[in-house]
Amino acid sequence: MFTLIWETVRISFQGILENKSRALLTMLGIVIGVLAVTLMGTLISGLDRSFERSMSFLGKDVLFIGKYEWFSNQDWWEMRNRPDMQLDYGEKLKAASDVVLNTSTVMARRVDVARGDNSLLGVQLRGTTPEYMQTSFINIDQGRFITGGEDRSGSRVAVIGADVAQGLFQNRNPLGERMKISGVTFRVIGVVEKQGKFLGLFSMDNQIIIPLGTYTRIFSRRGYIQINVKFAGDPGEAKEEVRGVMRRIRGLRPQDKDNFAINQQEAFETQYKAIKLAIGGTGVFITVLSLVVGGIGIMNIMFVSVKERTREIGVRKAIGATRPLILGQFLLEAIFICLLAGLAGLGLAYGGSRLIDQYVFPSTMPVWLGVLSVFLAVFVGVISGIAPSFKAARLDPIEALRYE
Amino acid sequence: MKSDALISLLGIEKTYEVGTELVHALAGVDLTIRENEYISVMGPSGSGKSTLMNIIGCLDSPSAGTYEFGGEMVHEMDDNQLASIRNRKIGFVFQTFNLLPKLTALRNVELPLIYANVPREDRLEKAKQALTKVGLGDRITHKPNELSGGQRQRVAIARALVTDPSIILADEPTGNLDSKSGVEIMKILDGLHDQGNTIILVTHEADVAKHARRIIRLLDGRIEHDDRKRTV
Repeated sequence: MFTLIWETVRISFQGILENKSRALLTMLGIVIGVLAVTLMGTLISGLDRSFERSMSFLGKDVLFIGKYEWFSNQDWWEMRNRPDMQLDYGEKLKAASDVVLNTSTVMARRVDVARGDNSLLGVQLRGTTPEYMQTSFINIDQGRFITGGEDRSGSRVAVIGADVAQGLFQNRNPLGERMKISGVTFRVIGVVEKQGKFLGLFSMDNQIIIPLGTYTRIFSRRGYIQINVKFAGDPGEAKEEVRGVMRRIRGLRPQDKDNFAINQQEAFETQYKAIKLAIGGTGVFITVLSLVVGGIGIMNIMFVSVKERTREIGVRKAIGATRPLILGQFLLEAIFICLLAGLAGLGLAYGGSRLIDQYVFPSTMPVWLGVLSVFLAVFVGVISGIAPSFKAARLDPIEALRYE
Repeated sequence: MKSDALISLLGIEKTYEVGTELVHALAGVDLTIRENEYISVMGPSGSGKSTLMNIIGCLDSPSAGTYEFGGEMVHEMDDNQLASIRNRKIGFVFQTFNLLPKLTALRNVELPLIYANVPREDRLEKAKQALTKVGLGDRITHKPNELSGGQRQRVAIARALVTDPSIILADEPTGNLDSKSGVEIMKILDGLHDQGNTIILVTHEADVAKHARRIIRLLDGRIEHDDRKRTV
């Protein structure tokens, strides 16, 4: 029995080799299908990873209180007209509730920075307190973060993002070096670990952190202020608690609407999930489409092949090939074409994923998806090969031998 | 001559439906064939000789009648059983050779053994022997288009022989050959008969039919004459 199966495999393989270019063209649809599904998976895995990385500095147990909602369909003017956040809200929140473990206050603006002939325009400058390290999840790669003493005394020290370090100091060690922020000289005391970008949106890489005390002295006590609140316990309850405290601070009556926004990392996740779904959906759509088209192509070519080889089928039947053997021969041929196409697609996808990994963002091709896509290809082979194979198996040997 | 019947056909009928009309290709054929017989089946076209060949060759089933082949009831068999009996007991030689063009002579001859599930080494060995037997031992790696007509037919005979079948069915084996090659092929068939094979020959050429020891003439789906020559 094993001999028979093996020989059927060999005969099917020969069938493909006899028509190389035709088989190759037929494979294209399947190749594209497998390529689409695996590359889509790679893309999503990369997005996941970079999303997680760039989200990590937001922290899951942190609320961000500010004037504006991050994602909302609220009227912008309504938000614009809310009262500004105040620098002392952080202390008030911490004092008012046990749920609040820690708070940090962040002010931010765009600045131009320079060192010698190197300059960077539109860098995000953040003024904040040492507690920032508790309310965010950034890692200091070199040097250290700002201290309470530096905050109180308004020291001109700066912690810079990886891209800023690269832009100003290239490959030299920036620690202890001086740089100008909006014309004011600062000393670099730390560099934040490189985070990578998420769709070029938010990243610490292009930011500079200075003590809040320094910020308020040099720039302004007014403007964009955000209070980061690290909380304990259930996020939903904590959010309600903090909201209550904020309403009290603002002196809102029960019928008044909130005139502040409490944001969470979740908001980004919701957005991100929508993006992910769109990418995944597109990938699945392309995959299904190309597999269906590819499958039809293979069915067509198999019908042609059966027709062309009618006489061969007749001969094989006359000398003793049974129906199942003929069926197997043609079915295996279709499966082989699809399997080869699947593997080719997988190979291309692997190459593609390496390119994405290198030039777009760190990503890996999910192994399970690769295996699944090859199985899918084989499945297409079975589905599209079955009708032509049955036709071949059911041929009448006398008619087939007479066929010209 | 042995007395046991190898093949016995009894009241074989074959009816085709052509449009609304019924055509009786065979209208009751009784025929007994013993081992090591050498038979020619002759008859004008439309006499039913092709149909009879197809039924004896287990390519087709009779509409009525019984067909016993070496103790097996062929008329009761399904498709796969027929394939099996063709594989084990019958060697076909066709007018148009019917070799697979992409395969070498050796691969062509090996083919029936694949379907008989013979291990690879045995297969190649037997295929080589069969090719040597028909005088093509030095042509085993040639493809059909690299061989002459006579050589192709010899490959086909080797393919028919390789399973050591009970009968060899040759359908106009010289029909596509020049007379010299035809003579060679008939010599090989005669030789096979001398070695104990049972051969059934379908032909309309009297010269070819003469090689046989028994000549059956068909007319309108019936056996008209059944002449036995005495073996000398």
